[in-house]
Amino acid sequence: MAKEMHKELLFLKNEVSKMGHLALNMLNDSIDSLYNQDIELASDVLEKKEKIKDYDNQIEEKTLKLIMLYQPMAIDLRSLAAILKIITYLHRIGRYGKDIADVVKKHLSERQIALNLVNLRHIYEHVHSMIEDALKAFEEMNISGIKDFETRDDEVDKLRWSIFRECLTYMIEDPKYITECAHYMMFARYLERCGDHACKIAEKVHYMVTGKHIEIS
Amino acid sequence: MLIKSKNKYKHGTESDENSTLKDNEFVIECRDLNLWYDEFQALKDINMRYRKNKVTAIIGPSGCGKSTLLRCFNRMNDVIDDCRIEGQVLFNGRDLYDSDADIRLNRKKIGMIFQKPNPFPMSIYDNITYGPKIHKIIEDDILNNITERCLKRAVLWDEVMDRLEDSAMELSGGQQQRLCIARALAVEPEVLLMDEPTASLDPIATQKIEDLILQLKKEWTVIIVTHNMQQAARISDYTAFMYLGEMIEYGETTQIFENPKEKLTENYITGRFG
Repeated sequence: MAKEMHKELLFLKNEVSKMGHLALNMLNDSIDSLYNQDIELASDVLEKKEKIKDYDNQIEEKTLKLIMLYQPMAIDLRSLAAILKIITYLHRIGRYGKDIADVVKKHLSERQIALNLVNLRHIYEHVHSMIEDALKAFEEMNISGIKDFETRDDEVDKLRWSIFRECLTYMIEDPKYITECAHYMMFARYLERCGDHACKIAEKVHYMVTGKHIEIS
Repeated sequence: MLIKSKNKYKHGTESDENSTLKDNEFVIECRDLNLWYDEFQALKDINMRYRKNKVTAIIGPSGCGKSTLLRCFNRMNDVIDDCRIEGQVLFNGRDLYDSDADIRLNRKKIGMIFQKPNPFPMSIYDNITYGPKIHKIIEDDILNNITERCLKRAVLWDEVMDRLEDSAMELSGGQQQRLCIARALAVEPEVLLMDEPTASLDPIATQKIEDLILQLKKEWTVIIVTHNMQQAARISDYTAFMYLGEMIEYGETTQIFENPKEKLTENYITGRFG
């Protein structure tokens, strides 16, 4: 019976991994659609909204079923508890990608990007690598890649405020940038939240592997 | 007072919290307890203390020595041929295996419940009053009070109050087990030993016994051997994991089941062996 449960747990972990890469892919495509003014790509991201929701529901159902059938303990129980939380964070990351793509499609596709917001790309790259590392830690049950998350999250926060100040300057200089900059500030906020979710995933992976709770502020 | 142990498992004796227990916080203590059945060593260097008014569960695969350990606490292994014991089992500070230890008194203070309910083939009333009568209580009023009090404590009174003279053998399995608990309580024990008390019961009867155990710990110390890990997790405050006669890990139940310190414990409770 335990053998069957471990087989199903492994399957579930693979599903979480796939969901994680879908969320990452949605975020990546939404940023690309913004920089390349690619409405088609933005539409693709919007279509993936249902898929990531399905992953969330299906993994949750399967996790609860495993708990019900096998009443797991120790590392198995911690893994399932971590999975239930991690899928929520991944779902939100995917939804932020969808939110960015939504704005790109509705408001930014018609106009040229007037501003060269290098920091937005930077913050995205930071967040992307954090999510990737958190997923890798989950897949490999190895926490070495998430040890510097506190510093990396601080860097993301700094970049977000730097974008805020940059946008503020543009808006003061010329009111015609207000709409565009307001959107950029929201994007920066979304990406910064994605970084927070990567930290939450890392916390859960840490608990799953070691049985000890940590807080990455 | 710290316990020194030869146990090779770091967490096989006491959690840090338990190791600094004061004398009045625990009732039974094993010191370097070893037991052999002829040439076979069934218990190896067991050192542990059982907290007062707590439920301690002993888990482990079949043949690991958990029932043997439980039986040491009221000297039931004495009746087994070729059984040899070394070390000490202290009950309230006095060694149960001392040559001048009063076995009858100790068995009164340390009651035992078995896997299969074993009521005496007599009336419900006589089952409860059997022990007190042996201990020279003969007044009807007192015996009636004991019967009512113990059946109430065992949450059986409401079901049998109108038929105390009926044979105990007519009760259901769950009721019989609760009667056995009531019978054990009738001689005012301090500790209740339970050897898989729900193994032969259906889920509803099991639920009632588990609820009862949680009630009992307010007044008694309970040590329970169980194969059912979920049951151990539900009802016990402390859990000890045994393997091949050794105490591998002993600590708070939530810690043992959520985050065991020994790999062997983890492998057992996650079903990777056993």
